[in-house]
Amino acid sequence: MEEVKSYIESGILELYVLGQLSAEENISVEAMAAQYPLVSAEISAIEIAMEAYALENAIEPSDELGDKILARFTSTNETVVNKTQDEPKIIPLYEGANDDRKIKTLSYALVACIALLVVSVVSLYTLNNKLNTAHEQIANLSTEKEQFVRTVSKLKFDNSGMENRIAMTKSNEWSTVKLAGVKDSPNAEMLVYWNKTNKNILINYNAIDLPKTDKSHEYQLWALVDGKPVSLGVFGGDETATAAIKQMDAIEKAQAFAVTIEPMGGSVNPTMDKMVVMGAI
Amino acid sequence: MATTKKISLSEEDLVNALKRQDTIAIKALYDMYSGALLGVISRIVIQTEVAEDLLQETFVKIWNSGSSYDSSKGRLFTWMMNVARNLAIDKLRSKDFKNSNKNQDIENNVDFIDEQRKVNFNADTLGIKDLVTNLKPDFKDVLDMVYFKGYTHVEAAEELNLPLGTVKTRVRMAILELRKKFN
Repeated sequence: MEEVKSYIESGILELYVLGQLSAEENISVEAMAAQYPLVSAEISAIEIAMEAYALENAIEPSDELGDKILARFTSTNETVVNKTQDEPKIIPLYEGANDDRKIKTLSYALVACIALLVVSVVSLYTLNNKLNTAHEQIANLSTEKEQFVRTVSKLKFDNSGMENRIAMTKSNEWSTVKLAGVKDSPNAEMLVYWNKTNKNILINYNAIDLPKTDKSHEYQLWALVDGKPVSLGVFGGDETATAAIKQMDAIEKAQAFAVTIEPMGGSVNPTMDKMVVMGAI
Repeated sequence: MATTKKISLSEEDLVNALKRQDTIAIKALYDMYSGALLGVISRIVIQTEVAEDLLQETFVKIWNSGSSYDSSKGRLFTWMMNVARNLAIDKLRSKDFKNSNKNQDIENNVDFIDEQRKVNFNADTLGIKDLVTNLKPDFKDVLDMVYFKGYTHVEAAEELNLPLGTVKTRVRMAILELRKKFN
């Protein structure tokens, strides 16, 4: 006990309470206190005295300071407090480290966008194919329509020619001259209508069947007057004609009519070996 | 603060609340001990502004290190007081603090003293100071240095040109006087 007493009286316990001892000395005091109740009782007495002393010596902080300090603990939670500590600050490796959720959302959005794009491309392709088909159909229809229009106009053309032919046949005003094929074109034939009163000459494409000409040639109608050929004008094939009936030059008198194939615009004298039809009145 | 009722808890409740990081602990500790801790700090670092910052640091450290407090090694206040004292002494000895102190001219010191007057002194403080003053001057010097001025007892012995054992004895005698007064 004497040893404990001198230990207490050495003043080491006061220094312990005042935080004046090294870590090793602290451990030895704590060991003594754990072993001897007298030592721990002495420490408590010193602590209580110093605590009372400190309380009696207090300097009350201002209300503002109190508000400021307590606000740090009550404002949100302990993380606010921890921030002020000397703990290492966590700095994200890259700036967007905290935006992982955002990135995740964005990647979902990206996948959705890609899917949408694929669907769009497929439907666009399909629609384009349909559109092409429709275009082809339209083209076909318009071709058919053109053909139909051509057919109709040809029918009208023929019809008007036929009507005219019938009318002229019935009438006594007109004499019909039949031109028959010659040696090179035995199957060719043509009718020429000659008005008895005013001597006008008409031809009717409906009553023309001549060998085809090329683009640089056309037909020329001649009248044989006292053994001499007189030109009555030129005419093209029925594909160039705008009306079924075409009026040629009038002639007072003639013994025969003939048609030759001449260069475009006609010739002064008929090319005899190019004669396709001929007929006497 | 002025309108809030002050909180006071038993030491056991305080320790438990502190260890489970309940904010009521810090509120109670502040209400019960902020004055005592500021008193300790203010005698080591006399600049009010610095002392107030240190008080704040002290509470932050108490909060964050509460789990390391071991009640078997001493009372909670002793631990808190040493936290405050160590922070204040570290500040006093830090380079930037020494430098800023050197730069203070007389004018600033006058302002500083004026500022000091804003602090609310505990009326009882004067009585205690008298008590310390009434101690034998030998005891008073040593306790002043070790308790108020942040000296270690080794430094105090060197400063006073006394054997270490004598310094220890005088600290003990001074505290025994206080014990007679308070216990």
